[in-house]
Amino acid sequence: MISVRKVNNRPLNFLERIYLVEIARGLAVTARHFFANLLGRRSLTVPYPERRIPAAGNSASRTRHRLKARPDGSPRCVACFLCQTACPARCIAIEAAEYPGNPVEKYPASFSVDLSRCVMCGMCVEACPEDAIAMDTGELPGGAASRQELRLDKEDLLRRVPGETPARGAANRLAEGPGGER
Amino acid sequence: MTTPALNTDLLLFAAAAAAKVLLFLGGAMGVTALLTLAERKVSALMQDRIGPNRAAIAGLTLNGLFHPVADGLKMLFKEDFRPAAADRLLFALAPVLALAPVLTLFAFIPFGDYVMLFGYQLDLCVADPPLGLFLLLAVSGLSVYGTFLAGWASRSNFALLGALRAAAQMISYEVTLGLTLAGLMMVYGSASLQDIVRAQGALIWGWIPAWGIVTQPFAFVLFLTAAIAANKRTPFDLAEGESEIIGYFMEYSSMRFAAFMFAEFAEMLLIAALCATLFFGGWQVPFLYETGFMLPGGAALELPQWVTALMQTGAFALKTLFFCWLQLLLRWTLPRFRFDQLMSLCWRRLLPLSIANILATGAALLALR
Amino acid sequence: MPRLTIDGRPVEVKEGATILEAAGLLGITIPRFCHHPALPPAGSCRMCVVEIEGSPKLATSCSTPAAEGMKVSTSSPAVKAARRDVLEFLLLNHPLDCPICDQAGECSLQDYYMEHSCAKSRFPAELKEPRQKRRLIGPHLVLDNERCVLCTRCVRFCDEVTRTSELFVSGRSDASFIDIREGKALDNGYSLNLADICPVGALTSREFRFRQRAWFLEKTPVTCLGCATGCRAEAHHAGGEIYRMVPAPGAENAWLCDRGRLTYRPLRAGDRLKKGFIKNGYIDLEPAVREAAARLAGEPGAAVLGSPWLSVEDNAALAALARALGTGNYCFSFTAESGIKDGILVNKDPAPNTAGAAEAAPTGGLDLGELNRRIAAGEIKALITEARAAAFIKGRLPDGFKLIVFATNRSEIPAGAYATLPYASYFETPGTFVNYQGRRGVTGPVVPPPEGVPPLAETAAALAAALKGDGA
Repeated sequence: MISVRKVNNRPLNFLERIYLVEIARGLAVTARHFFANLLGRRSLTVPYPERRIPAAGNSASRTRHRLKARPDGSPRCVACFLCQTACPARCIAIEAAEYPGNPVEKYPASFSVDLSRCVMCGMCVEACPEDAIAMDTGELPGGAASRQELRLDKEDLLRRVPGETPARGAANRLAEGPGGER
Repeated sequence: MTTPALNTDLLLFAAAAAAKVLLFLGGAMGVTALLTLAERKVSALMQDRIGPNRAAIAGLTLNGLFHPVADGLKMLFKEDFRPAAADRLLFALAPVLALAPVLTLFAFIPFGDYVMLFGYQLDLCVADPPLGLFLLLAVSGLSVYGTFLAGWASRSNFALLGALRAAAQMISYEVTLGLTLAGLMMVYGSASLQDIVRAQGALIWGWIPAWGIVTQPFAFVLFLTAAIAANKRTPFDLAEGESEIIGYFMEYSSMRFAAFMFAEFAEMLLIAALCATLFFGGWQVPFLYETGFMLPGGAALELPQWVTALMQTGAFALKTLFFCWLQLLLRWTLPRFRFDQLMSLCWRRLLPLSIANILATGAALLALR
Repeated sequence: MPRLTIDGRPVEVKEGATILEAAGLLGITIPRFCHHPALPPAGSCRMCVVEIEGSPKLATSCSTPAAEGMKVSTSSPAVKAARRDVLEFLLLNHPLDCPICDQAGECSLQDYYMEHSCAKSRFPAELKEPRQKRRLIGPHLVLDNERCVLCTRCVRFCDEVTRTSELFVSGRSDASFIDIREGKALDNGYSLNLADICPVGALTSREFRFRQRAWFLEKTPVTCLGCATGCRAEAHHAGGEIYRMVPAPGAENAWLCDRGRLTYRPLRAGDRLKKGFIKNGYIDLEPAVREAAARLAGEPGAAVLGSPWLSVEDNAALAALARALGTGNYCFSFTAESGIKDGILVNKDPAPNTAGAAEAAPTGGLDLGELNRRIAAGEIKALITEARAAAFIKGRLPDGFKLIVFATNRSEIPAGAYATLPYASYFETPGTFVNYQGRRGVTGPVVPPPEGVPPLAETAAALAAALKGDGA
């Protein structure tokens, strides 16, 4: 059942119908904003990405990816390509390589996420059998001056939280010999 | 106005004219370029935003001052696309026809009285034909060719429809535009713009400057409305409707498109200059005469002639800038008219009102004689 | 001709056919690990058991011949339970390796588990018996005994097909595992077939290992150009790169030799020619063609030598080039001893198109001996050919002799070559090849050629055009 409510708009009076007074009132509103802002009131806009408004503290929101690491600092990822397979935006590119003396055998020689293509769907996290990729950094990607900045390589992804100094080189560190943490 | 008699005078006249053209036209085009930035900056300020501020030269942004440069460069490097079926000659001619009349019109606008340079009297106006107002209307009427040819030469249905809309709108409002100016000519008894400005220097009852806004207040409102409509700017911008309606220059790109945009902004500056010239005393500053200030009470301040000339030119510039700003303010305040409203506003409201204005002016002039 | 019913559907099969084959005729796929159509039956995995009416026990369908009047059920509750149990046993000690296993995606164990079991493991992961992982056996293979289901396909392949018997099952019952005989290496020239026939990821190819996942691979039929046998093969590729070659499904050649499987390797080698090469420096293709044309046109004794490594079409383009040169010095007839060398696949003639090359110039032309004689006599001063065919020129090249060759890789360029022109290989451009039995096979294209490298025929045509330009 559609309910219909009739709205009786007040007919315009003569002054309103010749527009001029109403236009002047409108101009007064915009001019007030113009001068207020010209003389120093702050704009509501933030010069993104240099300054960012902190995201709401919602743990359920999907944010920039990261790769989890084992206690020894090597990535948990075994380069199984399942995230790359699941990714609908095809933004993940992996190259696999072999650990010579490690029972884990396979590791990602390169692992990159192209945030300019990522749709933040979280399917990579769902697909990962090793719980190696997560989207919990609290960092909302976007707003970069170049495409290259939006392309995260393995080192970028292994950084735990934004702001923390990344431990460069950790990505290729080997686990201790055979029988090591698995 | 000096009449060239000798060859040296002719040469001097030509040199002075060239200098004025270069100076005034260059200034006008520079201000037009800045207007494109001002449009975005002013709208940002009105809407509590920051506005464009990223274009930088060596890291220096100057709060966005380089954006006109960046826009120009961007336009230069865009692909200059022409539809395969387009009429090559007319397609190339249309942007020129849109831009040329507007730039020509700046020549008729007096930006000062005169200045004595090395004993030579230099008129601060590029050209001051006796029938300046008629010429102004005639030349500005030419720009409709640019608009219509753009749509026609593109051989595109959408562009043609846009051109039809734009041409109908421009021609309609040209009529009102002409009629509103008739009252002015009756009051000041001349069609020369310099004469009209000079006449506005007179005082009514000894203390009110006889500006157009005082003698023809009604005509000012009609003129501003009709001029904005003829320039196809908001709230009458449905000829192009940049973001959503498809306009007559739809098939244009690169610098050809930029020419249309530039013509629009130049015309905005022109309208501002005309408002100042015709209704706000042009270069006149109240109570400032050739010799200096002479207030109604009898107090006087003597000034060298070049100082008064400078003050007058500055006053003209300030008035013009104010009306530029007013047009920006109008654009970001008013919503767009519908096309039938636009036409009905023109033919059923503005046109009768402007005729009534002429009749009333005539009656008043008869009564006062 | 026994007639039997399988799942209530009647079928008539040849004498001696197994129940598994009979079911295949009806479109019923019985799961199997140890059965392989080209290998003798083993009946060891018990995955293919079926219920036969009147028989007290379930029977292995891969080794039980179909008999008149048999009533077979492939989906009775007992059969389903048996499959579930077999899978549970196989998975007891199977490692959770799927993420790092190359077989994932084309693994029988994965597929059968999803289709026939899907049961949760009742065996705790920490009790799984560790076995030797990642054992390099032979130049091409890696053995992972943890993943092995002991189907013995590999052992039977080495026993029956190559008759080299490198592999055997060591140990007894649940301690048994695949091992290699003391002092032997798995280098029988067909070892990469083991990576194909292994139903799980126990034997994987070192060439393919970790390079690409099976489900990303696209499959394009090709003709193997490893020798004159011309086996039908399938190139597996993704993103413009070839990852492996396998025998084409349903082809008369059930196998493919290691050499043939690796014929795609020059494409991946770092020395791929993308430009012309003159003396010791790279040069763009277009000036290289002009230079080559100038050398050929400038010499009165210019010659064209076809190549048994080139397709019929490219040889024809070289023959057209000889006509453009207006020379009688051309040779497209090659003779080579042919026939299967090792009793399996490898041919005595290593060139794939000896028979097809002659088609380019059916009449006229020199034979190789005459060509060599004229070169030695100094009558021929410039010659254009394909890099490998340059080996047909015997003896030292005379001084000032200009040898111009087409090559795909820098390592192919023969010593003494004056100029080299690149061409797109037959993985990148189509070509027709005639094998030693006269069977025509069309191959390629599988992947796009490197940018700016045209097919040989195109460059030859450009050469001919340049020659005409010089003449005018």
